[in-house]
Amino acid sequence: MRGVIKGALAEELQNSLRMEKEYDAALRKLPKGCLSVKKIKGHKYYYLVSREKGKLKYVYKGAVPKEEVKRYKEVKEYRAKYRKLLSQVKKQVKYLRSSLRGKEAI
Amino acid sequence: MEKKQYELCVEILRRLNKAGVLKDLILVGSWCIPFYKDYFKTIKYATSIRTRDVDFMVPGRIRIKAKVDVVELLKDLGFVVGFQGREGYIRLEHPELAIEFLVPEKGRGSNKPFPLKELGINAQPLRYLSLLTQKIIHTEIAGIKISLPHPVVFAFHKLIIATLRRNKDKAAKDIEGALRILKAVLDKGQKAVIKITFDSILPAWRKKVLKCLKKMEKEDLLRLLEE
Repeated sequence: MRGVIKGALAEELQNSLRMEKEYDAALRKLPKGCLSVKKIKGHKYYYLVSREKGKLKYVYKGAVPKEEVKRYKEVKEYRAKYRKLLSQVKKQVKYLRSSLRGKEAI
Repeated sequence: MEKKQYELCVEILRRLNKAGVLKDLILVGSWCIPFYKDYFKTIKYATSIRTRDVDFMVPGRIRIKAKVDVVELLKDLGFVVGFQGREGYIRLEHPELAIEFLVPEKGRGSNKPFPLKELGINAQPLRYLSLLTQKIIHTEIAGIKISLPHPVVFAFHKLIIATLRRNKDKAAKDIEGALRILKAVLDKGQKAVIKITFDSILPAWRKKVLKCLKKMEKEDLLRLLEE
Protein backbone atom coordinates (compact mmCIF):
# COMPACT_ATOMS: atom_id res chain seq x y z
CA MET A 1 0.00 0.00 0.00
CA ARG A 2 1.30 3.45 -0.94
CA GLY A 3 -0.60 5.48 1.63
CA VAL A 4 -3.45 7.99 1.28
CA ILE A 5 -1.48 10.84 -0.30
CA LYS A 6 0.51 8.70 -2.69
CA GLY A 7 -2.63 6.77 -3.60
CA ALA A 8 -4.38 10.02 -4.54
CA LEU A 9 -1.32 11.19 -6.49
CA ALA A 10 -1.17 7.86 -8.37
CA GLU A 11 -4.85 8.26 -9.29
CA GLU A 12 -4.19 11.79 -10.49
CA LEU A 13 -1.24 10.60 -12.55
CA GLN A 14 -3.47 8.13 -14.38
CA ASN A 15 -6.01 10.92 -14.95
CA SER A 16 -3.31 13.27 -16.25
CA LEU A 17 -1.92 10.64 -18.63
CA ARG A 18 -5.39 10.04 -20.03
CA MET A 19 -5.96 13.78 -20.29
CA GLU A 20 -2.70 14.20 -22.20
CA LYS A 21 -3.99 11.79 -24.85
CA GLU A 22 -7.33 13.57 -24.97
CA TYR A 23 -5.82 17.03 -25.52
CA ASP A 24 -3.58 15.54 -28.21
CA ALA A 25 -6.65 14.06 -29.90
CA ALA A 26 -8.59 17.33 -29.54
CA LEU A 27 -5.73 19.24 -31.18
CA ARG A 28 -5.52 16.73 -34.02
CA LYS A 29 -9.28 17.05 -34.60
CA LEU A 30 -9.07 20.81 -35.19
CA PRO A 31 -8.74 21.84 -38.85
CA LYS A 32 -5.16 22.62 -39.82
CA GLY A 33 -3.91 26.13 -40.43
CA CYS A 34 -5.33 29.57 -39.85
CA LEU A 35 -6.74 32.24 -42.10
CA SER A 36 -4.56 35.16 -43.02
CA VAL A 37 -6.01 38.21 -44.64
CA LYS A 38 -4.14 40.52 -46.94
CA LYS A 39 -5.57 43.87 -47.93
CA ILE A 40 -4.60 44.93 -51.42
CA LYS A 41 -6.08 48.10 -52.84
CA GLY A 42 -9.00 47.95 -50.39
CA HIS A 43 -9.88 44.35 -51.25
CA LYS A 44 -9.52 41.47 -48.77
CA TYR A 45 -7.70 38.35 -49.94
CA TYR A 46 -7.74 35.28 -47.71
CA TYR A 47 -4.98 32.71 -47.47
CA LEU A 48 -4.92 29.52 -45.44
CA VAL A 49 -1.57 29.40 -43.69
CA SER A 50 -0.26 26.09 -42.47
CA ARG A 51 3.10 24.52 -41.73
CA GLU A 52 4.39 21.63 -43.81
CA LYS A 53 7.69 20.03 -42.90
CA GLY A 54 8.62 23.17 -40.97
CA LYS A 55 7.87 25.51 -43.86
CA LEU A 56 4.97 27.92 -44.06
CA LYS A 57 2.53 27.21 -46.84
CA TYR A 58 0.02 29.78 -48.12
CA VAL A 59 -3.02 28.53 -49.98
CA TYR A 60 -5.15 31.16 -51.68
CA LYS A 61 -8.77 30.81 -50.54
CA GLY A 62 -10.38 33.68 -52.46
CA ALA A 63 -13.53 35.12 -50.93
CA VAL A 64 -14.38 33.48 -47.64
CA PRO A 65 -17.84 33.76 -46.06
CA LYS A 66 -18.04 35.55 -42.70
CA GLU A 67 -19.09 32.35 -40.92
CA GLU A 68 -15.96 30.54 -42.06
CA VAL A 69 -13.76 33.45 -40.95
CA LYS A 70 -15.46 33.26 -37.56
CA ARG A 71 -14.98 29.49 -37.41
CA TYR A 72 -11.25 29.77 -38.18
CA LYS A 73 -10.96 32.43 -35.48
CA GLU A 74 -12.61 30.09 -32.99
CA VAL A 75 -10.36 27.21 -34.07
CA LYS A 76 -7.32 29.42 -33.53
CA GLU A 77 -8.51 30.27 -30.02
CA TYR A 78 -9.21 26.64 -29.18
CA ARG A 79 -5.82 25.56 -30.54
CA ALA A 80 -4.05 28.09 -28.31
CA LYS A 81 -6.16 27.05 -25.33
CA TYR A 82 -5.64 23.31 -25.84
CA ARG A 83 -1.89 23.78 -26.34
CA LYS A 84 -1.65 25.74 -23.10
CA LEU A 85 -3.66 23.12 -21.22
CA LEU A 86 -1.66 20.27 -22.78
CA SER A 87 1.53 21.91 -21.59
CA GLN A 88 -0.03 22.23 -18.11
CA VAL A 89 -0.95 18.52 -18.14
CA LYS A 90 2.58 17.57 -19.20
CA LYS A 91 3.99 19.55 -16.26
CA GLN A 92 1.53 17.79 -13.95
CA VAL A 93 2.64 14.38 -15.27
CA LYS A 94 6.28 15.29 -14.65
CA TYR A 95 5.53 16.55 -11.16
CA LEU A 96 3.36 13.56 -10.23
CA ARG A 97 5.94 11.08 -11.54
CA SER A 98 8.66 12.70 -9.46
CA SER A 99 6.39 12.76 -6.38
CA LEU A 100 5.72 9.05 -6.71
CA ARG A 101 9.37 8.08 -7.14
CA GLY A 102 10.13 7.37 -3.47
CA LYS A 103 9.20 3.98 -2.06
CA GLU A 104 7.98 5.06 1.38
CA ALA A 105 4.24 5.16 2.01
CA ILE A 106 2.80 8.61 2.71
CA MET B 1 -3.32 25.99 -8.43
CA GLU B 2 -5.73 25.60 -5.53
CA LYS B 3 -7.29 29.03 -6.15
CA LYS B 4 -7.55 28.45 -9.88
CA GLN B 5 -9.19 25.09 -9.27
CA TYR B 6 -11.74 26.59 -6.87
CA GLU B 7 -12.54 29.43 -9.25
CA LEU B 8 -13.03 26.97 -12.10
CA CYS B 9 -15.35 24.89 -9.95
CA VAL B 10 -17.39 27.99 -9.07
CA GLU B 11 -17.57 28.92 -12.77
CA ILE B 12 -18.92 25.45 -13.60
CA LEU B 13 -21.55 25.79 -10.88
CA ARG B 14 -22.44 29.27 -12.15
CA ARG B 15 -22.93 28.03 -15.72
CA LEU B 16 -24.97 25.00 -14.69
CA ASN B 17 -27.07 27.24 -12.48
CA LYS B 18 -27.64 29.76 -15.27
CA ALA B 19 -28.63 26.92 -17.61
CA GLY B 20 -31.21 25.81 -15.03
CA VAL B 21 -29.85 22.33 -14.34
CA LEU B 22 -27.97 22.79 -11.08
CA LYS B 23 -31.18 22.68 -9.04
CA ASP B 24 -31.73 19.12 -10.24
CA LEU B 25 -28.22 17.96 -9.37
CA ILE B 26 -26.53 16.98 -6.13
CA LEU B 27 -22.83 17.56 -5.76
CA VAL B 28 -21.27 14.36 -4.44
CA GLY B 29 -17.68 13.14 -4.18
CA SER B 30 -14.66 14.67 -2.50
CA TRP B 31 -15.57 18.26 -3.46
CA CYS B 32 -18.32 18.10 -0.84
CA ILE B 33 -15.62 18.19 1.84
CA PRO B 34 -14.49 21.81 1.24
CA PHE B 35 -18.10 22.86 0.65
CA TYR B 36 -19.10 21.60 4.11
CA LYS B 37 -17.08 24.47 5.56
CA ASP B 38 -20.20 26.57 5.93
CA TYR B 39 -22.04 23.74 7.71
CA PHE B 40 -19.15 23.39 10.15
CA LYS B 41 -18.49 27.11 10.51
CA THR B 42 -18.95 27.03 14.29
CA ILE B 43 -16.11 24.55 14.83
CA LYS B 44 -12.55 24.04 13.65
CA TYR B 45 -12.90 22.11 10.40
CA ALA B 46 -9.95 21.10 8.28
CA THR B 47 -10.64 19.68 4.83
CA SER B 48 -8.93 16.46 3.82
CA ILE B 49 -7.22 15.50 0.57
CA ARG B 50 -9.41 15.56 -2.54
CA THR B 51 -9.00 14.60 -6.15
CA ARG B 52 -9.79 16.72 -9.19
CA ASP B 53 -13.09 14.89 -9.75
CA VAL B 54 -16.25 16.94 -9.41
CA ASP B 55 -19.12 14.46 -9.35
CA PHE B 56 -22.70 15.45 -9.95
CA MET B 57 -25.45 13.06 -9.11
CA VAL B 58 -28.80 12.99 -10.84
CA PRO B 59 -31.28 11.55 -8.32
CA GLY B 60 -33.35 8.75 -9.84
CA ARG B 61 -36.77 10.33 -9.44
CA ILE B 62 -35.86 13.70 -10.87
CA ARG B 63 -36.28 14.48 -14.55
CA ILE B 64 -34.16 17.36 -15.72
CA LYS B 65 -36.46 19.88 -17.37
CA ALA B 66 -33.91 22.19 -18.94
CA LYS B 67 -32.23 20.95 -22.11
CA VAL B 68 -28.57 21.82 -22.10
CA ASP B 69 -25.58 20.55 -23.99
CA VAL B 70 -23.15 20.37 -21.07
CA VAL B 71 -20.17 19.65 -23.35
CA GLU B 72 -20.86 22.84 -25.36
CA LEU B 73 -21.58 24.78 -22.16
CA LEU B 74 -18.09 24.10 -20.78
CA LYS B 75 -16.11 23.79 -24.02
CA ASP B 76 -14.71 27.32 -23.98
CA LEU B 77 -13.27 26.71 -20.50
CA GLY B 78 -11.00 24.14 -22.12
CA PHE B 79 -12.84 20.97 -21.14
CA VAL B 80 -12.43 18.01 -23.46
CA VAL B 81 -14.59 14.92 -23.58
CA GLY B 82 -12.96 11.78 -22.29
CA PHE B 83 -14.34 8.29 -22.10
CA GLN B 84 -13.66 6.20 -19.07
CA GLY B 85 -13.55 2.44 -18.84
CA ARG B 86 -14.60 -0.12 -21.39
CA GLU B 87 -18.21 1.01 -21.08
CA GLY B 88 -17.44 4.58 -22.17
CA TYR B 89 -18.69 6.80 -19.38
CA ILE B 90 -18.31 10.43 -20.40
CA ARG B 91 -15.94 12.50 -18.34
CA LEU B 92 -15.29 16.19 -19.00
CA GLU B 93 -11.63 16.79 -18.39
CA HIS B 94 -9.46 19.80 -17.66
CA PRO B 95 -6.02 19.92 -15.99
CA GLU B 96 -7.65 21.46 -12.92
CA LEU B 97 -10.89 19.47 -12.73
CA ALA B 98 -12.74 16.49 -14.15
CA ILE B 99 -16.53 16.37 -14.20
CA GLU B 100 -18.54 13.20 -14.03
CA PHE B 101 -22.24 12.54 -13.81
CA LEU B 102 -23.56 9.70 -11.69
CA VAL B 103 -26.94 8.03 -11.19
CA PRO B 104 -27.98 5.53 -8.51
CA GLU B 105 -27.84 1.95 -9.74
CA LYS B 106 -31.13 0.10 -9.49
CA GLY B 107 -32.17 -3.53 -9.56
CA ARG B 108 -29.57 -6.02 -10.70
CA GLY B 109 -27.57 -3.21 -12.14
CA SER B 110 -25.65 -3.00 -15.38
CA ASN B 111 -22.33 -1.58 -16.43
CA LYS B 112 -23.92 0.32 -19.28
CA PRO B 113 -23.80 4.12 -19.16
CA PHE B 114 -27.11 5.77 -18.34
CA PRO B 115 -28.03 8.25 -21.09
CA LEU B 116 -28.87 11.76 -19.90
CA LYS B 117 -30.37 13.08 -23.12
CA GLU B 118 -31.33 16.40 -21.54
CA LEU B 119 -27.67 17.12 -20.86
CA GLY B 120 -26.22 15.52 -23.98
CA ILE B 121 -24.02 13.16 -21.97
CA ASN B 122 -24.19 9.85 -20.15
CA ALA B 123 -23.90 8.99 -16.49
CA GLN B 124 -22.31 6.18 -14.58
CA PRO B 125 -24.73 4.11 -12.51
CA LEU B 126 -23.29 3.37 -9.07
CA ARG B 127 -24.53 1.23 -6.22
CA TYR B 128 -25.28 2.85 -2.82
CA LEU B 129 -25.63 6.34 -4.34
CA SER B 130 -29.26 6.51 -3.26
CA LEU B 131 -27.99 6.71 0.31
CA LEU B 132 -26.68 10.18 -0.48
CA THR B 133 -30.18 11.41 -1.35
CA GLN B 134 -31.57 10.32 2.00
CA LYS B 135 -30.67 13.61 3.67
CA ILE B 136 -29.78 16.68 1.65
CA ILE B 137 -28.43 20.01 2.82
CA HIS B 138 -28.30 23.25 0.86
CA THR B 139 -25.47 25.69 0.94
CA GLU B 140 -24.30 28.72 -1.00
CA ILE B 141 -21.02 28.87 -2.86
CA ALA B 142 -20.18 32.31 -4.27
CA GLY B 143 -23.88 33.15 -4.20
CA ILE B 144 -24.91 29.94 -5.97
CA LYS B 145 -27.26 27.56 -4.19
CA ILE B 146 -26.07 23.97 -4.30
CA SER B 147 -27.34 20.71 -2.88
CA LEU B 148 -25.02 18.40 -0.99
CA PRO B 149 -25.59 15.14 0.86
CA HIS B 150 -25.74 15.64 4.62
CA PRO B 151 -22.22 15.17 6.05
CA VAL B 152 -23.34 12.10 8.03
CA VAL B 153 -24.76 10.24 5.02
CA PHE B 154 -21.70 11.32 3.03
CA ALA B 155 -19.46 9.76 5.68
CA PHE B 156 -21.53 6.55 5.87
CA HIS B 157 -21.45 6.26 2.09
CA LYS B 158 -17.66 6.61 2.11
CA LEU B 159 -17.37 3.91 4.79
CA ILE B 160 -19.62 1.55 2.82
CA ILE B 161 -17.75 1.94 -0.45
CA ALA B 162 -14.41 1.62 1.35
CA THR B 163 -15.40 -1.94 2.28
CA LEU B 164 -15.94 -2.73 -1.41
CA ARG B 165 -12.85 -1.10 -2.88
CA ARG B 166 -10.14 -3.30 -4.35
CA ASN B 167 -7.72 -0.41 -4.33
CA LYS B 168 -6.48 -0.20 -0.73
CA ASP B 169 -5.17 3.37 -1.15
CA LYS B 170 -8.57 4.60 -2.30
CA ALA B 171 -10.26 2.76 0.55
CA ALA B 172 -7.86 4.40 3.03
CA LYS B 173 -8.64 7.83 1.54
CA ASP B 174 -12.39 7.19 1.82
CA ILE B 175 -12.10 6.10 5.43
CA GLU B 176 -9.86 9.04 6.34
CA GLY B 177 -12.36 11.50 4.83
CA ALA B 178 -15.35 9.80 6.45
CA LEU B 179 -13.80 9.72 9.93
CA ARG B 180 -12.75 13.35 9.66
CA ILE B 181 -16.33 14.35 8.84
CA LEU B 182 -17.86 12.21 11.59
CA LYS B 183 -15.43 13.80 14.04
CA ALA B 184 -16.51 17.26 12.87
CA VAL B 185 -20.19 16.30 13.35
CA LEU B 186 -19.38 15.10 16.88
CA ASP B 187 -17.45 18.31 17.58
CA LYS B 188 -20.52 20.25 16.44
CA GLY B 189 -22.47 18.42 19.14
CA GLN B 190 -24.65 16.47 16.73
CA LYS B 191 -24.16 13.02 18.21
CA ALA B 192 -27.90 12.36 17.91
CA VAL B 193 -27.90 13.17 14.19
CA ILE B 194 -25.31 10.44 13.60
CA LYS B 195 -27.39 7.90 15.54
CA ILE B 196 -30.72 8.87 13.93
CA THR B 197 -29.22 8.79 10.44
CA PHE B 198 -27.57 5.45 11.10
CA ASP B 199 -30.84 3.95 12.31
CA SER B 200 -32.64 5.21 9.20
CA ILE B 201 -30.44 3.42 6.65
CA LEU B 202 -30.94 -0.13 5.37
CA PRO B 203 -29.80 -2.91 7.78
CA ALA B 204 -27.39 -4.34 5.19
CA TRP B 205 -25.76 -0.93 4.79
CA ARG B 206 -25.61 -0.51 8.57
CA LYS B 207 -23.67 -3.79 8.77
CA LYS B 208 -21.16 -2.50 6.25
CA VAL B 209 -20.64 0.74 8.19
CA LEU B 210 -20.08 -1.22 11.40
CA LYS B 211 -17.74 -3.65 9.65
CA CYS B 212 -15.58 -0.78 8.47
CA LEU B 213 -15.54 0.96 11.85
CA LYS B 214 -14.67 -2.35 13.59
CA LYS B 215 -11.77 -2.81 11.19
CA MET B 216 -10.57 0.68 12.03
CA GLU B 217 -11.11 0.02 15.76
CA LYS B 218 -13.22 3.13 16.22
CA GLU B 219 -14.69 2.10 19.55
CA ASP B 220 -16.27 5.47 20.39
CA LEU B 221 -18.24 5.54 17.15
CA LEU B 222 -19.16 1.87 17.43
CA ARG B 223 -20.50 2.41 20.92
CA LEU B 224 -22.62 5.32 19.70
CA LEU B 225 -24.04 3.43 16.71
CA GLU B 226 -24.71 0.17 18.55
CA GLU B 227 -26.43 1.82 21.54
